[in-house]
Amino acid sequence: MIRFLARRLGLLVLVVWGVVTATFVLVHATPGDPARTTLGDKASESAVQALRAEWGLDQPLTVQYWHFLTDLISGNLGTSFQYRSPIVSLLADRLPTTLLLMLMAVTFAVVISLPLATWVAVRGRGGADIGVRIFGAVAQGTPAFLTGTLLVIVFGLKLHWFPVGGYGRTTAEHLHSLVLPSLTIALGIVPMLVNSLRASLTDALQSDFVAFGHSKGLKPATVLAAYAIRNGSISGVTILGIQAGVLAGGALVVEKVFAIPGMGSLMLAGILGRDFPVVQATTLVFAGIVVVVYLVTDLSYALLDPRARLA
Amino acid sequence: MIQKKWLPALAASTVISSLLLVGCSPGPSSSSDDPGTPQPGGHLVMAREADVATLMPTDATDNESIWTVEEIYDTLLVPSVDGESVQPALATDWVQSEDKLAWTFTLRPGITFSDGTPLTSADVKFSLDTASDPDLPSGFLNEQIAVIEAPSPETVVVKTKAAWTPLPSVLALFANSIVPENYGGKSKEEFAKDPVGSGPFKVKSWTKGQQLELVKNTSYWGKDKPYLDAVTFVAVADANTRATQLQGGQISINETPAASSFDALSSTPGLKASAFESSLTSFLTLNNTRTPFSDLHVRRAIAYAIDREAILKAAYFGKGAPAGSFLSPAYWAYDANVKGRQYNLDEAKKEMTLSSQPQGFNASILVSSGNATQLTIAQILQGELAEIGITLTINQMEPAAQRAARKSMDYDMAISVATTDITDPDEMVRFIVSKAGGSNSLYTGYENQDVDALISQAAGLSDQAERKKVYSTIQAKVDDDQPLVPLFYLPSLYSYSDRVHGFQPSITGNYNLVNTWLSK
Repeated sequence: MIRFLARRLGLLVLVVWGVVTATFVLVHATPGDPARTTLGDKASESAVQALRAEWGLDQPLTVQYWHFLTDLISGNLGTSFQYRSPIVSLLADRLPTTLLLMLMAVTFAVVISLPLATWVAVRGRGGADIGVRIFGAVAQGTPAFLTGTLLVIVFGLKLHWFPVGGYGRTTAEHLHSLVLPSLTIALGIVPMLVNSLRASLTDALQSDFVAFGHSKGLKPATVLAAYAIRNGSISGVTILGIQAGVLAGGALVVEKVFAIPGMGSLMLAGILGRDFPVVQATTLVFAGIVVVVYLVTDLSYALLDPRARLA
Repeated sequence: MIQKKWLPALAASTVISSLLLVGCSPGPSSSSDDPGTPQPGGHLVMAREADVATLMPTDATDNESIWTVEEIYDTLLVPSVDGESVQPALATDWVQSEDKLAWTFTLRPGITFSDGTPLTSADVKFSLDTASDPDLPSGFLNEQIAVIEAPSPETVVVKTKAAWTPLPSVLALFANSIVPENYGGKSKEEFAKDPVGSGPFKVKSWTKGQQLELVKNTSYWGKDKPYLDAVTFVAVADANTRATQLQGGQISINETPAASSFDALSSTPGLKASAFESSLTSFLTLNNTRTPFSDLHVRRAIAYAIDREAILKAAYFGKGAPAGSFLSPAYWAYDANVKGRQYNLDEAKKEMTLSSQPQGFNASILVSSGNATQLTIAQILQGELAEIGITLTINQMEPAAQRAARKSMDYDMAISVATTDITDPDEMVRFIVSKAGGSNSLYTGYENQDVDALISQAAGLSDQAERKKVYSTIQAKVDDDQPLVPLFYLPSLYSYSDRVHGFQPSITGNYNLVNTWLSK
């Protein structure tokens, strides 16, 4: 198990290094000078050169990369060009917001998917099954910005249940503000989750252990909860793990639509403003979130099934 | 849209029960009110595309920063709302010397910074000296300033290298805001975090990239002003989100609402929408250093082939006016007699036959990706220029990359906009049609030594009527040369709650929140 863990952690570091290096190369290869972008068309060339020098952009790319890597290892993510403040403090501000958003999205996804999948699995083929399939196809085919806008129109503008964007100031306001955004992300994951859960629950319901439970004289609800759902939902955990990337990508779009000051909106502003340190840092964090989720998924597999440790 | 895509909304309603757990927010509040006399108090929330980047006047380059700096600091003078002149602010009066090389400003008595420190000529000298560093983004505007003197606490003398009439207008620039001498003993970085000015508002809190809250400066010199107790600027990148937040009553002012929604907003109860005069002008810029755009007949043919009215309707929903002169009517120097080459297909074809490319040619146009307005314009131009044999390819590039391509003159045509920072025409004339003006004549590469000489001449003349004549000549010459095609004069659009009164941005964009108030 320790060797397995060490190998996985080593791979994790390698993947993160690959991601930050690719990001570094891409942001520097993209046309558009950060200093000129910041200063605008009117500023003199000497003003632009002065700023480039201040930001270290006048140095050879290899030197910049070396500084970037050594700073990164020592935990220094640099200073934002746009906001002129340390990236670490920006992240400290933004990361909890995005994590909360992702956590709420996963919660909503589970709260919606599990009952739906169970219902369909129990009912078998028929109207319910078709209804859920149609809902799945539509929900999966609707881009997040459209789902988000529709939710805002219905629950924000018409019903006034939720704010139509923003994040509020208090914890209660934060939670309140994140309902529609996290629901938007959740609706993107639900179809795949429902499909997988339904298949595994259907299998579980036809299994010997469920038949055994019924023959023991247990109540149908107990058999469903203790035997079928418990065994059938393992596939759901895998799907959720795989969806970590979708969650992170969803945060990018949804944070913009709902004006949520999280990592996604920071990253977008960074890309548009050619704020290299911000783009590098946010990519690093998103990559970190995804690989850590994958690692946890792998580990939970290894714990559940010893055969996975050999893989 | 909603009717077609009702399914997800319906699906979402299946989870209403889980939503109900979280509770309800209050509905929007809106009440119409007779403006009447200004009422003190209230907290105004304005949503803008992005957050402030900096609160240092000398570092500000984005509109969000510039228009916020103007609420926190004072300048010696301020632009009048109509852009025709400058008005007293920290300085109550100013005179130019006989030899026209020195200007003496008298400061308003008894002014203090928001921390209570008196504001004197030493602060003014420090601020203007600092702002004149040519390596600062707006330093070039001060390049005619030779020396700044502070002979007495209430007198400032600014000497210029040559007779230079735009000076008062330049001193009304945000970058020339007055900060405490030596930043009140702090380093520039420390001061930037906790800035002190003498303007109507002072900083209460700032969460970078998110929102900035200002509160009333109770020691402000304007009588009974400002009316508002507090102002919060929130960064909301998405235009639709800003619009819905205004409808939902979460914000009071939406900066830059989409032109497509403007008329609908005007007729929504509880909301107002206004198009304020601005210096914003859009152009079709042509790379004069490339063939066939180096050919005057080609440039004129293109100008004639563009139906500005049609584009204005499609791309701006009629909000704006077709442009003639490259100088907008927002300036006193605008010459209405310079009408430009307006849509005339026959003339366009005639110019093409006179050109080096009578059979037409292929060209590309740069468009900022994600900018629906520019894309619409480019698509219409594609059709219109096809009429004279020009096959146009649309080249979409992300904004920063597009800027880089224009800067390196690696393009054929592009859609550009220009706005002014000062009310004097000098800045924009240099920016748009002078190769030495820093932007290579708005990246057209245009150079006309007669025009350059006239620009210098106009800056040195004192009499406005005489200056206007010179600027008219410049506008006529540029119209003849057609280095670029002025397309539209555009207003600045705002939508806001009908509780907001006295909101009147000037042509330079300054919000003038000092005069804004909220009815109960």
